[in-house]
Amino acid sequence: MFLRYKFLIVMRAIWFIAQVSFFGLIVSRLVVFELKGIYFQYYVAGIIIMMLYSVSVFIGYDIFEEAEHGVFEYLLSLPVSRKELVLGRSIGGGIRSFIFVGPLIAIALAIVGVTQIMNLVIALSALFLFAFGASGMSITIAVALKSGDRFDILMGVLNALIIRLSTVMYPQVFIEDASNVYAGIANFNPVTFASDLFRWGVGIEQYLTMTPLLAILGIVAFFFVFTFVGVTVYERRLEGGGWK
Amino acid sequence: MSGDADLVAIIRTVDLTKRFEDVAAVDNLNLSIEDGEIFGLLGPNGAGKTTTVLMLSTVIKPTNGTAFVGDFDVRKNPNDVRKLIGICFQEPKLLWVSTPWDVLNWHAKVCGLATEERKRRVKQVLNDVNMWEARRKSVHGLSGGMRKRVEIAKVLIQRPKIAFVDEPTAQIDVIGKHKIWNMIRQLRDEGSTIILATNELYEADVLSDRVGIMHKGGLLVCDTPRTLKDSIPGGDIVEIHLEKEATDKVLEELKSLKEISDIAEINPKSLRVYLNNVEEVVPQIMKAFLKRNLPILSIKMSEPSLDDVFVHYTGLTIEEAQQKMIKGEADG
Ligand SMILES: Nc1ncnc2c1ncn2[C@@H]1O[C@H](COP(=O)(O)OP(=O)(O)OP(=O)(O)O)[C@@H](O)[C@H]1O
Ligand SMILES: [Mg+2]
Repeated sequence: MFLRYKFLIVMRAIWFIAQVSFFGLIVSRLVVFELKGIYFQYYVAGIIIMMLYSVSVFIGYDIFEEAEHGVFEYLLSLPVSRKELVLGRSIGGGIRSFIFVGPLIAIALAIVGVTQIMNLVIALSALFLFAFGASGMSITIAVALKSGDRFDILMGVLNALIIRLSTVMYPQVFIEDASNVYAGIANFNPVTFASDLFRWGVGIEQYLTMTPLLAILGIVAFFFVFTFVGVTVYERRLEGGGWK
Repeated sequence: MSGDADLVAIIRTVDLTKRFEDVAAVDNLNLSIEDGEIFGLLGPNGAGKTTTVLMLSTVIKPTNGTAFVGDFDVRKNPNDVRKLIGICFQEPKLLWVSTPWDVLNWHAKVCGLATEERKRRVKQVLNDVNMWEARRKSVHGLSGGMRKRVEIAKVLIQRPKIAFVDEPTAQIDVIGKHKIWNMIRQLRDEGSTIILATNELYEADVLSDRVGIMHKGGLLVCDTPRTLKDSIPGGDIVEIHLEKEATDKVLEELKSLKEISDIAEINPKSLRVYLNNVEEVVPQIMKAFLKRNLPILSIKMSEPSLDDVFVHYTGLTIEEAQQKMIKGEADG
């Protein structure tokens, strides 16, 4: 299992470097006038959130591995409440993804530069919650689907939607320009909250979608919803009939 | 152990039922387990033993009915129930962390053992189940029996008030089995109640204070191993070798004893008597022969095992089994 994570991390790191040093560098020469000079930094910050998201949701695959070995039943028999169990798993997954993405965050900070240390601390704290929430969401979906194949396909689609309809790669004004529906979705997307906050934390403030406070509230809500939903789904789906 | 009025039920199931789609894995089970006993839960494959254990330990929810564990309803207060229990699963559940020591240390930590106590117990139990040497091996590389040893070690370290052990010694070698049996007895002697689900009838016989036999999700019979063995008609066997030939008179007298269900003459000087309550009946048999001046050369007794009990009852329907038990109690 650990080996698989090492593999994942090495691959993601290569992907990150490719995105930044090829795509980011080239595409930032291609952007409209308003984004000239800042798009590269904007893009690097967004890509970090994309990484954090995709590594956090990877924990869902662990669920299938555990289910295969019946470890679920064991966890459900331990003297802890369902809430503690789900929280433990999502926080564990979040911390792990933070540790893995940490070095890349350091690279990003070196590229973008830091102006307001306090903002950065606030932003990173909120990103912790974001990572826990993404792990919780992934666990919830994995437990609800109970099928590794379907989980894999759904997460692929969800990844495409949640990243494309967010401000990871482009500011909200351009999304709005394309479609109000897209913009509406992006406005309520946890990935948008996280991207906004991280950019605010590193001082890229030109194209924020919302105030940092709203973004923080959005992330807190994201975290609580998936912890709560996670507990409910755990109880319904697993205690109802075990894992088949 | 059974029947004592001062013993209280620590587990009580009330029409406990679990359906998986249209299969009733556990079907209106009413069972009561006393505080401080080792209760053997027997039954053919698929009888519903594991499903019962999983419901009692709040891992799965009943479809119908409920159960009280300690003073708590498994439906309403599952968190309280989980604080009382520990499980050794039928299939060892260890594969997501790396070594036996990690598995057990983590388990003990989650169960709330303080650091010093935890270290001491983990070491002690790893030694007891002969896994100390292998404590740093990857669990992936352990043999089936070794995994099972780690699985039972969890409960032995945790020492819960109520321990469910599902096939605790399956795949474990003979010496290991005896060691583990002793540790299970010791756990009971220290005040735990143990529910032992097993297909090894010898294990159930030597360990259990009482046993219940499940079949198709219901409880067929439930009593001490002794009573159950006595409850099968003609379950005991006595072989008698005489100096002279047995007379019709003595055979008639023996047949008039209600405990004796059948007598087979192997040859005129050797008899095979099928009976119940062997301890009480053998003196009467000896008296009958001596009275008629028929000296006995040798007597060989054999007892029915739980195997016989199991085969006898699981061949019956639930109604028939309950009828038999009631009749047996009336006779005894
Ligand atoms: N998760 C499940 N989904 C569907 N059916 C199940 C599930 N778990 C158990 N069953 C069914 O319930 C019945 C009882 O199974 P259970 O595992 O409780 O039997 P058991 O008495 O423990 O048997 P064994 O001696 O083989 O361990 C079986 O018919 C089994 O197929
Ligand atoms: Mg079983």
